[in-house]
Amino acid sequence: MLKHKEAYDAVIIGAGMSGLVCGCYLAKAGMKVLIAEQHSKPGGYCTSFKRKGFTFDAAAHSIGGYKYGYVGKVFKDLEIGKKIKFFKINPSDTIITPDYKLSFWADTDMTIKEFQRAFPEERERIDRFFSFLANPDIKIFSRIRKWTFKNLLDKYFADEKLKTILSVPLFGNGGLPPTRMAAFVGVKIYQEFLLDGGYYPEGGMQALSDALAERFMELGGELRLSSPVKKVKIKNNEVAGIILLDNDFLLSKYVVSNCDTRQTFFKLVGRHILDQEFIDTIKTMIPSLSGFILYLGMDTQLTQLPEPGVNLWYLFFYNLDAAYLAAKRGDFRNIGGYVIHVSPDKKTVFVFINAPFKNKKYWNANKKKLLDFFIHRIESEAIPNLSKHILFKDAATPLTLHRHTLNFKGAAFGWASTPSQLAMPDLRKPSFIRNLYLTGHWTTQGLGIPGVVYLGYDTAKMILRKQKANL
Amino acid sequence: MNVEKEIISIISEVSGFDEEEITPEKNFYKDLEVDSIKAIEITVAIEKKFKISVRDEDVPNITTVKEAVALVNKLISEKADVKA
Repeated sequence: MLKHKEAYDAVIIGAGMSGLVCGCYLAKAGMKVLIAEQHSKPGGYCTSFKRKGFTFDAAAHSIGGYKYGYVGKVFKDLEIGKKIKFFKINPSDTIITPDYKLSFWADTDMTIKEFQRAFPEERERIDRFFSFLANPDIKIFSRIRKWTFKNLLDKYFADEKLKTILSVPLFGNGGLPPTRMAAFVGVKIYQEFLLDGGYYPEGGMQALSDALAERFMELGGELRLSSPVKKVKIKNNEVAGIILLDNDFLLSKYVVSNCDTRQTFFKLVGRHILDQEFIDTIKTMIPSLSGFILYLGMDTQLTQLPEPGVNLWYLFFYNLDAAYLAAKRGDFRNIGGYVIHVSPDKKTVFVFINAPFKNKKYWNANKKKLLDFFIHRIESEAIPNLSKHILFKDAATPLTLHRHTLNFKGAAFGWASTPSQLAMPDLRKPSFIRNLYLTGHWTTQGLGIPGVVYLGYDTAKMILRKQKANL
Repeated sequence: MNVEKEIISIISEVSGFDEEEITPEKNFYKDLEVDSIKAIEITVAIEKKFKISVRDEDVPNITTVKEAVALVNKLISEKADVKA
């Protein structure tokens, strides 16, 4: 029996970054907004947790698009700067391969010079490539919508090693090799993560999600944590509201889902509303890889730690297709690389390795073994004497990521960012259900915090446009 | 199929502007706040709706509803010619 409760202008399912940003803008415009989140804290992949006195970032570990992109604009609009300080890590990223060490500096000219010194033959092309990345014509992207990042690199460069090195951040930030990653998404990763990246909130990533949640409530929004949603109620092809786990029925004019596509349509909306062609399309779509994440709490005696705050991308061989296939198979002995991030306070080490979902039995049997296997590897490849200074160690498997965020198959980056999965408007705003919107990294080609912040802002903008209200 | 009506509906879905506001002369980028992601979404949706393939060199020519309609009509008739 449904119990009729309050009515809202908009209900947002999920307090990930995109849901929080969208909620803030809607509340700011005077709408009555509820965010219902199944987890006990806001943030989705942008959260932190505490163990034995250490604070670990769970997944997201730095922020881009802060100076020139939407992240900066949104934080300014929402006055997030009044709640937390951000500091810039310089360089933001360093790529370490068997024969090169190349960094992305706050000053892009320095980055260009560093790449030119390493690849003098490609001097002019490096200039041209970075100038394209910094200032592309918007229209070019529809023209190259079917291109992979490899197609784009081939237009510029001849040196295969350089092309592979330039693709490492894509493999790390999107889980695909350049032969599969859409050129558009690759360019976005460069613009947002590398040319404008390396920002970090004081106190850790949770501080950012908490600040947005706090702002949302100041603006009059209602946030319910530990509050799973059971159904999105649809009447005559229009959203009517949501049903919570305890059968409370909340009326709402708009519903925004910050959950993944499959959960939104198959579980919350229900297959009976959907036509078979749409169901089949979603069923054949491929999610991105998940990750195996190491969380290490360190004593203060280890002096040879890499530079804190920097994303250190290790690449062991120049074949990202092989690296991708190894990650997809879960062949950890042959992985192509990983990213190491020492927390700015130097107390913890975070390591992310692309990994497949697999089942519970597999991870139960392998989690501990893999944790020790990687500590040993990192000790020989990146941080000497690491194992002697660990006070706390744990790992997240794809199942952990799924459990905390309900992302389909623990996918780290939404749908795989291939050109054929690029841009399907029905995944953002289904044409067959009025007033239902989806936001977050499953809806279109927005990756990482810059991508989902943009989408949260854009979704709010679309709703407010319909409401004839101002941002 | 009314090409103009279908195109306006696609642009309305993607941009969030009401169909009534989207007149044939409106510029996607200047008037309808179409950005790089939305430009791709519009192109892909048009291809899907009309079962056509927009050539790379034609893409810069779609900046208004009017231009999109002209291009789609051209591509539909070319497709019909090939079939005939």
